[in-house]
Amino acid sequence: MIPGTMTALRRNNVTVHGPADVRPMMFAHGFGCDQNMWRHVWPAFAEDHRIVLFDHVGAGGSDVTAFDPEHYRALDGYAEDVLAICHELDLDDLVFVGHSVSAMIGLLAAAAEPNRFGALVLVGPSPRYIDDEGYIGGFSHEDVEGLLESLERNYLGWSATMAPVIMGNQDRPSLGEELTNSFCRADPDIAAHFARVTFLSDNRADLARVRTPSLILQCSEDVIAPQPVGEYVHRQLIDSRLVLMQARGHCPNLSAPEETVAEIRSYLAG
Amino acid sequence: MSRTEGGDQESFEELFEDAPCGHLSSAIDGTILGVNRTFERWTGLDRTQLLAVRRFQDLLPRGRIYYETHYLPLLLMQNRLNGIALEIERADGSRLSALVNSVVDRDRRGAPHRIRTAVFDATDRSAYERELRSSRQREQETAERLQRSLLPGEIPAAPGLEVAVTYRPGVSGLQVGGDWYDAFWIEQPDIIALVVGDVVGHGLEAAATMGQLRSAVRALALLGLGPATLLQALDRFADRHDVGSMATLVYAELDLRSGSLRFACAGHPPPLILQPDGAARFLWEGRSLPLDTRLGTGTRAEATVQLERGSTVLLYTDGLIERRTSSLDEDLGRLLAAAASCGGQSPERVAGAIVRALHEPEQLDDVCVLVART
Repeated sequence: MIPGTMTALRRNNVTVHGPADVRPMMFAHGFGCDQNMWRHVWPAFAEDHRIVLFDHVGAGGSDVTAFDPEHYRALDGYAEDVLAICHELDLDDLVFVGHSVSAMIGLLAAAAEPNRFGALVLVGPSPRYIDDEGYIGGFSHEDVEGLLESLERNYLGWSATMAPVIMGNQDRPSLGEELTNSFCRADPDIAAHFARVTFLSDNRADLARVRTPSLILQCSEDVIAPQPVGEYVHRQLIDSRLVLMQARGHCPNLSAPEETVAEIRSYLAG
Repeated sequence: MSRTEGGDQESFEELFEDAPCGHLSSAIDGTILGVNRTFERWTGLDRTQLLAVRRFQDLLPRGRIYYETHYLPLLLMQNRLNGIALEIERADGSRLSALVNSVVDRDRRGAPHRIRTAVFDATDRSAYERELRSSRQREQETAERLQRSLLPGEIPAAPGLEVAVTYRPGVSGLQVGGDWYDAFWIEQPDIIALVVGDVVGHGLEAAATMGQLRSAVRALALLGLGPATLLQALDRFADRHDVGSMATLVYAELDLRSGSLRFACAGHPPPLILQPDGAARFLWEGRSLPLDTRLGTGTRAEATVQLERGSTVLLYTDGLIERRTSSLDEDLGRLLAAAASCGGQSPERVAGAIVRALHEPEQLDDVCVLVART
């Protein structure tokens, strides 16, 4: 490591649980909130997996000073961060569980360094959110504008008076003492940038580059990643299984953690 | 319910139905289970159009993504959420600007079960916020334009000359700091002036001083004084107008025909020359004290060196090299090593590589690097 450079573990607020000598399992949060999105899911795997959680730069307890619009101009920059964490923790045969946009980020990472990854669990993946000719992503550019507007109007946990408290407090307090709205707190400028990168991305062509065995968890009535999108991902990924969940909406990790855990377990058991 | 003075007893039903806020309860998937009369009145939608037929998020045409990525996850994690700004679509297609509070009701096993939401009409508040936001944006744009005007817009280009600059203000939120760079023609297209300077302090005040010194250098350079005399005149300017005392700068005139570099260094780190063969060296000649030191600067020194074609000149400020933990010799040694590893690269790449190699992210000083290749 070059002195003075930020390590990925610090930059991405990486937390590790469970024994060190078992199969590693990384959970990646999607656009909007932070690693707490997985709080009802990861403990179920902590006994027989080495659990790795992190925050994307700009979210949660990440180091916002590490944000560089150039590095993060596309999802590949976020995938490089995932790989940097893999390198620093020397993770192999990794089970990568990615929610929402992080499903795509995991796919990009697995395409770049397939040897690191043993399996991908893609929760509500979408390679492109905006409708295109012959493709229904579910959204229009106007929806993305609406999102940016909502972000601008709701500085969740990030008013000017709150920011110094957050900035000076990289070691997060225990959950009980969490600042209100902190799970979805984000530097407003970075959040707007991540929103654009996420919802204007088109990674359909990258799906064919992935050979890693993948489980696609498709919720019903998920407006962010509608069923036809999940089916599209399934068709494009060479070694994938598509599971339609009972859970409705876009966040089964919060609304239906038991079902989410059970599906991942059954897939990993083969 | 207690009796009020008027003797009327208000029923729970009236309290709920005609509360001064809209009430809405929904299933976890958003399906609307109940609303009060206030909600019906404000939206123009009645129960038959809502209950079991529509989901709360269906009423948020601009907020569909936000609902799924922020509102619902946060609500499920915290069990409550207050003061979220949303726009609810009315029956006639117009939108109600609302602030909403929500709580999650959990069943006996602790599973989320139902969401109760109170909706407040925030029309005036939203309009006011919009005005505040746009005035903030205008101010920010004005500030940025003013700041950018303190630095040169476009760097001159000519056949046989490439110039690149890396500039990083040390104070976050500002576009400029106390460091500056400049490049302008003395005699187009043969003699170009290259300047890098550093005024004392950080932030906006330092930037304002920097802007004055930069303009003064430009004005004086037009007189064709040459480096040493220019610095003397700049001393008088600084003294007379009480601006930029103790600032440092390097001023150089590069003759593109002959390859001669005539320069003077007022208390500034020495220019670095990277030869086409990859050898790097500092120019330790032409040195004198910082501007207007009140110690009596006397005459200013200058020097001239002959550059081989394809040489690279590197001017920079101390923010690039200085570390708290090392001596100036060590700092300069690191720069020399970093430069020597950049042989043959374009100015753009040299500037980028050197800043990457030397700059520490925790460092709060301004950083400025100007790289010119003949």
